[in-house]
Amino acid sequence: MSASPTRGDAGDGSRRDPGARTRCACLRVPDLPLVAELRARPDLAGRPVAVASGPGPRAELVALSAEASRLGVRLPSSVAHARSVCPELRVCIASPALERAARDALLDVAHSFSPRAALVPRASGAYAGEGAVWIDASGVTRLFGSEAGFAGAIEARGEKLGLPGRVSVASTRSLALIAARAGAGVIAPGSERAFAAPLAVDVLDPPDRLAESFTRFGVRTLGDLLALPRRALSRRLGAGVLALIAEVDDRDPAPPLPVADDGPLVEAIDLEHPAARLEPLVFVLQGLLSRLLERLEMRHRACGDLALALELEGGGRDARRVGVAAPTLDLRGLVRLVAQALESRPPEGPVEGASLATQGCPLPSDQLDLFRPAGPAPAALGPVLAELEALCGAGQIGTPEVADDPHPDSFGMGRFQPGRARPPAEPRSALGHLLALRSLRPPVRAEVRLSRGRPGWIRSAIANGEVVGAAGPWRSTGRWWSEEQRFAYDSYDVQTSDGTVARLRLDHIRKTWHIDAVYD
Amino acid sequence: MSHPPSDANPRARTVSTDSAAPSTAPSTAPSTGLAALLRDLGPQLRRGAPASERPDGGGRRLPTGIPDLDALLGGGFPPGQLGEVAGPPSSGRTSVALALLARTTAAGEVVAMVDGTDGFDPSSAEAAGVVLDRVLWVRAPGLREALRSTERLLEARGFALVVLDLAIADLRVAPAAWPRLARAAAGTGAALVLLSARRQAGIHAGLAVELRSTRAHFTGTPSLLEGLEIEAVLARHRSAPAQRSASVRLRASQAA
Repeated sequence: MSASPTRGDAGDGSRRDPGARTRCACLRVPDLPLVAELRARPDLAGRPVAVASGPGPRAELVALSAEASRLGVRLPSSVAHARSVCPELRVCIASPALERAARDALLDVAHSFSPRAALVPRASGAYAGEGAVWIDASGVTRLFGSEAGFAGAIEARGEKLGLPGRVSVASTRSLALIAARAGAGVIAPGSERAFAAPLAVDVLDPPDRLAESFTRFGVRTLGDLLALPRRALSRRLGAGVLALIAEVDDRDPAPPLPVADDGPLVEAIDLEHPAARLEPLVFVLQGLLSRLLERLEMRHRACGDLALALELEGGGRDARRVGVAAPTLDLRGLVRLVAQALESRPPEGPVEGASLATQGCPLPSDQLDLFRPAGPAPAALGPVLAELEALCGAGQIGTPEVADDPHPDSFGMGRFQPGRARPPAEPRSALGHLLALRSLRPPVRAEVRLSRGRPGWIRSAIANGEVVGAAGPWRSTGRWWSEEQRFAYDSYDVQTSDGTVARLRLDHIRKTWHIDAVYD
Repeated sequence: MSHPPSDANPRARTVSTDSAAPSTAPSTAPSTGLAALLRDLGPQLRRGAPASERPDGGGRRLPTGIPDLDALLGGGFPPGQLGEVAGPPSSGRTSVALALLARTTAAGEVVAMVDGTDGFDPSSAEAAGVVLDRVLWVRAPGLREALRSTERLLEARGFALVVLDLAIADLRVAPAAWPRLARAAAGTGAALVLLSARRQAGIHAGLAVELRSTRAHFTGTPSLLEGLEIEAVLARHRSAPAQRSASVRLRASQAA
């Protein structure tokens, strides 16, 4: 068995399933602040870019692109010094919101491969800028052919999502992280110690005090460290050194990785220059939506209602819900929705930061019928419904339903799902000539003069004049249990001299006349 | 004509329903089976794409199911065109629209009702035979929302019929909106039917019919509304002589 890290199978060349023992993969992105910026601003890719810890020329640079390094910029360095070395350097200010979103996206990549995954806690020192995630890799050879194939698939998906990184697979979480930091691939079971021995102790990210002690003792590699007697080490350097040594142990004392919870997805951004107009703000939100949809797609989910939060200049906050009538992955439609929501109620001041959150919904799908007209495609219908709801208001679009309520004004509205509609029926020719009612919502107040106890003359916004024909009354009562909602109506079908045929009703409780519908 | 066995497109198969003949060659055994299947399913299969996907509607019309009115309209409302139904209250506009919705939804098509006046009555629609599951009801709060919703629905493929109801409020639309809506309808092959108090679309309407009520009938003891007599005048038709009329009697639901 080779001791060196390889991109092959279990290291011994065999195709045996390592699922019998726990295996863990680690996807590590070395410069997360830079990657988070490039993910939000893809136009900066391939250019000399640096991320600064804050505004101003004295701020320290925390990350550099490869192009910036090639042009001579080095870390640590101030913004002013870096600009003197490379005038064309594009400096971005580190955004906690962007980094948070990038870490969440990293976890999404992991969850797209395994329900058991967890973010690596933030490191300090030389690894402060890294972002890493552990993924349960037990038994993956059945799906991916080999652990190297599994690692390659994770790397490819991370790259697609703008999170280029390196994946290592080992027997424990710590070893997987160490291997990723060392740029190794798959560490075969049983060869962990041999792999770790030549690595520098810095790969463990020891606290400064321990690092100094290691230098003083001449401990340069993990092999040097593991060769020392542990009891004597702990007596001299404290218990912390044993914890470090345990990280190289191939037996993982940590509990199993947690199973993913289907929490909301959040994408956020801090703007360097506040957006005072809607157009640039919508452009920024389009970027957030695009990244949100990429992550949703990875979860095999569609976008539901959006929670939009805007950080305003001066400390204000504008939080609102953008309703999405039908789950969708259509970016254009969602951008329109968000733009409409902002147009209908613009933020009260310039926007310094924005975040969009959504809970993934199952993807819409319908079973179509060979013998029926296809109707709108589910994927295309979602954005249309969402847009119409944004335009007309929540609850204003849907399928009409006959309400199970005796009140003459009652009606229902259900979710529009044409794919689940009943099969088409034969046309009801017997009812083809039916006189229809047109509702008036709200009913129109009418002034009525009675003639021998029945409506004889009407004045209203709909029908006016002498009643030339009438039928009724028909009494309807209900909701007697509620003082506010109870009703008792006498309804008449009347035709006035102006030709209108309407349904007139007398409200016995309020002693008023209304026209609630017109025969049309 | 026989199909190659690799032909897996069910639409392609429907094209040759009439001429599919069993072949004697052993290699065409699947075609023989296919021919038998097509023979069995023949009446259920449709030719080509749905009407809503053909810009001209393929010469098809969306009938209302009211024979005299359909005869006057040349078979019904043309897909891909703007049709107008104009008239005062109680002239039968809603009844015509519901009859059209009933026929169209019964044929399995999906339709939209853009309700600019909030006057759509689900009970009345169901009584008229409309398959409510196939209706998208848009309760537009204003004229602007009604017009934008209509345009968006016309752009979305799959709706065979979009009814824009601006009837009771006598809402006046800027003339520039009509060519835009007519073009959107032509682009997707959906029939757009406008209900209004008076004609608005002018030359952009492919068909316009004006309705007026002539008499309401009350009969019996106690008295009941039996129905309404209306007169339909064909005010405009792109491919037929206009100014013809027809009388239609609409029955109230109690009398059905």
